Amino acid sequence: MAGHVPMTYGETSVSRKTVKGGSPLIKWAAISAALGFLLLFLVLPLMAIFVQAFEKGLAAYAAAVSDKDALSAIKLTLIVAAISVPLNAFFGIAAAWAITKFHFRGKNLLMTIIDLPFAVSPVIAGLIFVLMFSSHGLFGDFLFRHDLKIIFALPGIVLATIFVTLPFTARELIPLMQSQGSAEEEASMTLGAGGFQTFWRITLPNIKWGLLYGIILCNARAIGEFGAVSVVSGHIRGMTNTMPLHIEILYNEYQFSAAFAVASLMSLLAIATLVIKSLLERAGKEQAGIKELKE
Amino acid sequence: MSIQIKNVSKRFGQFTALDQIDINVDTGELIALLGPSGSGKTSLLRIIAGLEAPDHGSILFHGENITSVNPKERGVGFVFQHYALFRHMTVFDNVAYGLKVRPRKTRPGKQEIKEKVKELLELVKLEAFAGRYPSQLSGGQRQRVALARALAVEPRVLLLDEPFGALDAKVRKELRRWLRKLHDEFNITSIFVTHDQEEALDVADRIVVMNQGKIEQQGSPEEVYEHPVSPFVYDFLGNFNLFHGRLKEGGLDYGQEQAEGERGSEPLKAVGYARPHDITIHREDIGGECIKAVVHYIHRVGPVVRIELKRIDTGEFLESEMMKEVFKELKLDAGEQVYIKPRELKVFIPEDYSI
Amino acid sequence: MNKKGKGRAGRKGVLPGFGLSLGFTVFYLSVLVLLPLSTIFINTAGMGWEKFFKTIFDPRVVASYKLSFGSSLIAGGINTVFGILLAWVLVRYQFPGKKLIDGLVDLPFALPTAVAGIALTTLYVPDGWIGRFLGFKVAFTPLGVIIALTFIGLPFVVRMVQPVLQNLEPELEEASASLGAGRAQTFWRVIFPELLPAALGGFALAFARSLGEYGSVVFISGNMPMKTEITPLLIMTKLEQYDYAGATAIAAVMLVISFILLLVINLLQWWSNRRYLEN
Repeated sequence: MAGHVPMTYGETSVSRKTVKGGSPLIKWAAISAALGFLLLFLVLPLMAIFVQAFEKGLAAYAAAVSDKDALSAIKLTLIVAAISVPLNAFFGIAAAWAITKFHFRGKNLLMTIIDLPFAVSPVIAGLIFVLMFSSHGLFGDFLFRHDLKIIFALPGIVLATIFVTLPFTARELIPLMQSQGSAEEEASMTLGAGGFQTFWRITLPNIKWGLLYGIILCNARAIGEFGAVSVVSGHIRGMTNTMPLHIEILYNEYQFSAAFAVASLMSLLAIATLVIKSLLERAGKEQAGIKELKE
Repeated sequence: MSIQIKNVSKRFGQFTALDQIDINVDTGELIALLGPSGSGKTSLLRIIAGLEAPDHGSILFHGENITSVNPKERGVGFVFQHYALFRHMTVFDNVAYGLKVRPRKTRPGKQEIKEKVKELLELVKLEAFAGRYPSQLSGGQRQRVALARALAVEPRVLLLDEPFGALDAKVRKELRRWLRKLHDEFNITSIFVTHDQEEALDVADRIVVMNQGKIEQQGSPEEVYEHPVSPFVYDFLGNFNLFHGRLKEGGLDYGQEQAEGERGSEPLKAVGYARPHDITIHREDIGGECIKAVVHYIHRVGPVVRIELKRIDTGEFLESEMMKEVFKELKLDAGEQVYIKPRELKVFIPEDYSI
Repeated sequence: MNKKGKGRAGRKGVLPGFGLSLGFTVFYLSVLVLLPLSTIFINTAGMGWEKFFKTIFDPRVVASYKLSFGSSLIAGGINTVFGILLAWVLVRYQFPGKKLIDGLVDLPFALPTAVAGIALTTLYVPDGWIGRFLGFKVAFTPLGVIIALTFIGLPFVVRMVQPVLQNLEPELEEASASLGAGRAQTFWRVIFPELLPAALGGFALAFARSLGEYGSVVFISGNMPMKTEITPLLIMTKLEQYDYAGATAIAAVMLVISFILLLVINLLQWWSNRRYLEN
């Protein structure tokens, strides 16, 4: 659904030695058009971030990223990711196990519900938690009486982030485990292994690259989420500001270089994500390739 | 339409797929290119179709050099091994495709296309399936659609790449006969590629046996089967028994008991080949070069009985085939000792040996 | 003796953990997705039809629907054309730096939307790197919204079409050529129909994502009511004014549209599978 496209496993790219390439004119026109489009929409924005970040020099850059509020935003962002990503990874494994290893009615409905968060606007993802936990909300009275704060505090940010990133690992693992089937697990059980042993020794090694891939994407989104977090955070500097929110505040206060300095940190993280992602894709393909060879 | 293949060579990197191939195909002939995988037969077919370009040599259609002509202008019908049907088109649209993509000047009218496709679908007995998609057809039906699609453009030459390779044995036999019939009716010059010797022997007017990018032998099925020119052809066209021995005047000395070095010079080692139905079994030593053997196993299913034998002298296994009636007369049992004699022994003399 | 238990094992398979994994999945989804989403409909139901319709058909809100739908459609269209082109170039051609380009395509999935938003804005403001060469305004106009949404939806079509193109048998094109079709005819009649379901799927995904997008748009759009205000921003604005009922009503409309889109995407997949895929 609207969030990402799962990686494809074990695809055999057909050798094309014989298909005639057409005229070189068409080839280079197509390549130029495609690369021009990417230059305009991906490369230039990425360059702009770093150029703007260093516009006022290294000292200003260092000051912007080591600012007290910036550091607390970084810390909050990491805490939020550290809570929500493992929870969703665990959920993804459980959901994929239930869906791919058993037959039951309503499986398609369940998969559609897992996809739902990708189809919902991030702003609505924030809104629903406000409707539940704000002072006017469903549980507002209860929370007020027990002096619990969810909205405009860490729990709200974590809930909104979990909602937004919920499908990533499940979406990655379901097609992978479906294509792998259950034969290896069944063999393990007939050889006397227990359920947990089977999962740990057979399933997990088979899905490790796909799982990591899902986690990496989930993590990138959790760290970068803006709309949903913006609704529930309350924008209290040094308290409930995540990195993207901190960037917004700086930008709106016309502190452009500082905003881009923090943005450049997040861009480096995004680039690292892409690199790890393509490494994982390669590892996943190799694993699938080895499996095919064995068969 | 006659086809001449002149001195065609093709390499893929280090691998020589075709090495100086010369073949002449007469108008209306049905030719089989027979060989194991990697023998270059499919590459040759693709070069004739224009799907690949040869490194050297030329292809002539009716005396006209078409080596550098685009596949779309060659007027060949190509039937692919896995059919390559367009899965988003119905059977009708698949067959009509070649007519619809013609330039406006030569494109037939809608009604004409419709009639032509209907005619072809009747020919392949799929009239009732015009509205179906390829995924809704069986393998044999898909194959027939692929053939109808290739015939729709009224090709001058029909090329078929392992046309029956992906089908099960029964359907394969049926389609084989049907292809022969179709060819006799339309009389289009046709070349098909196969690795199944039975298929080639059954269908083709002429067989070209290929191995490692070279032609081993070409000729009628009888010629190729009865008079193979090389061990490879002998091997490829059926089961056989090997007799190791030494060359002597007038034949091969394959018994083990003969003393060595009787003649002046060291006799040359050679191998004799015999088909299982050319191995006769006798209760007694009938003289000549009979070999003692033990009946090892008997397969009795069907009209032909296969008997596995073990030579007593060398311990090698041999296979014999005989009709059931002959077998009944002999009353053989496993474990019995018998005498065998090859009725006909084919000896391939190494090239550097002259008598 | 233990017949009942055995029968169950037969039906569910020998693997354990069915109750646990499904139970946890359903619980997690109920608490974190279904229950929170239902609050939208509970709150909407409480506000009365008259007020509801008045809110969702308010001219300012209607203008935001038009902008959100229109710009998402255009951005999706741009991405479909260039997505197919990019997939084609990445699968069919060899050129230096191809691997790098292939990896870069996913940047919009990895880059935080707010970062993308401020970067695009700096490029397209009148004195920005790109803006200064254009004779017309891009930032703070609907064009800016389209630019941001094009960025956000860029990978979808590429990533859907790429594997399909990669697994396309070369024989299909050869068959077409041997039947007399030219390269253009082969592309439009044989290849394009094969790619179409994937391209449509990618378009629908990009469109759904664009409709709800917030972070990358708010910086470049300028957020002028009636002109450059997208629907998710309007929800945000209402929330900031403590108009929870108004925000919820608009959110309900968007949710219903999202559900319909989800349905359409699933139908699309089902339809294309049923029609041509091997059983």
